Amino acid sequence: MSSRDYLGEFEHLIVLAVLRLADQAYGVTVRQEIENRTTREVSIGAVYATLDRLEAKGYVKSHLGDPTPERGGRSKRFFEITAKGLSAVNRTHRALESMSKGLDAIRSYS
Amino acid sequence: MTTHDGIVQPPRTATWLVVLFASEEKDSLQGDLLEEFSDLASRSGAAVARRWYWRQALHSIVHLFSSAFRKAPYSTTAAVIAGFLLGRVLFPLPEKAIFAVLERYRVFDSHFDAYVFFATYGIAIAHVVTSMLMGCFVALMTPRKEMIATITLVVLLFSMTSAASLVWVARGNTSMLWSMVPWNFLDWLAMLAGAAIIRSQRSASRTLNSRT
Repeated sequence: MSSRDYLGEFEHLIVLAVLRLADQAYGVTVRQEIENRTTREVSIGAVYATLDRLEAKGYVKSHLGDPTPERGGRSKRFFEITAKGLSAVNRTHRALESMSKGLDAIRSYS
Repeated sequence: MTTHDGIVQPPRTATWLVVLFASEEKDSLQGDLLEEFSDLASRSGAAVARRWYWRQALHSIVHLFSSAFRKAPYSTTAAVIAGFLLGRVLFPLPEKAIFAVLERYRVFDSHFDAYVFFATYGIAIAHVVTSMLMGCFVALMTPRKEMIATITLVVLLFSMTSAASLVWVARGNTSMLWSMVPWNFLDWLAMLAGAAIIRSQRSASRTLNSRT
């Protein structure tokens, strides 16, 4: 198994946010979901750069919604996790769980 | 902060900068920024929204730059090398041309002040124009990644100038340093301006095509 099969830290956060948001996952909601849950400021550019990378790896796919007036006539780009992406997030979780197991200083991931 | 029909608009310069660096995701990203900006402006006021927008734009540029370079590393590198080589060919030309004209009309003998002006500022201004053409050339070679390639070239030239500056300082030749560095900065700015012009033109024509 190559190291590419695991998600990076920010990739992991993005995939979890997309999973949580289900069919409402687009730039704004993904960014806000991460910011609200981690209290760390996230830029929309970082979200798009990471989602682009995940899409190139086949972990997410995207489609454009209809243009809306409050967005200046621009469409939302919705994202969803693929089966390959789901496997990657599960694998990453298992690896983190395995690494943290038995360490008293760290609460278990499970 | 600009307003249009009572609606608060995001800072234009910040929007322009984001559009310069974003590629395929440009429209969705702009729409996302506008949506959050309008929401924040109605909840917390225009000043807070404006600060948020600038912060988002500047942080986003860094990520968009690295993401675009990762997507096409070879074509971007090729454009940077081609731009650099073109510069090596083009840069000495204005100097030769200006000195040829000065010699032809014997300016040194009859109008010494004019000779000094053209031999210094004339060449420097010609270099600025040449730099702008180099920026245009690199941008033309890299569709949708115009700014990424040009900034990489500018960083390369900046590194070379910094190394040369250290050598001049080590040799105690600081007068050379102060006469060269400001013009070099102008050259780099002109290069970026050339790329920004090409990028803006292409972006506008793409938008026009997608709407027709």
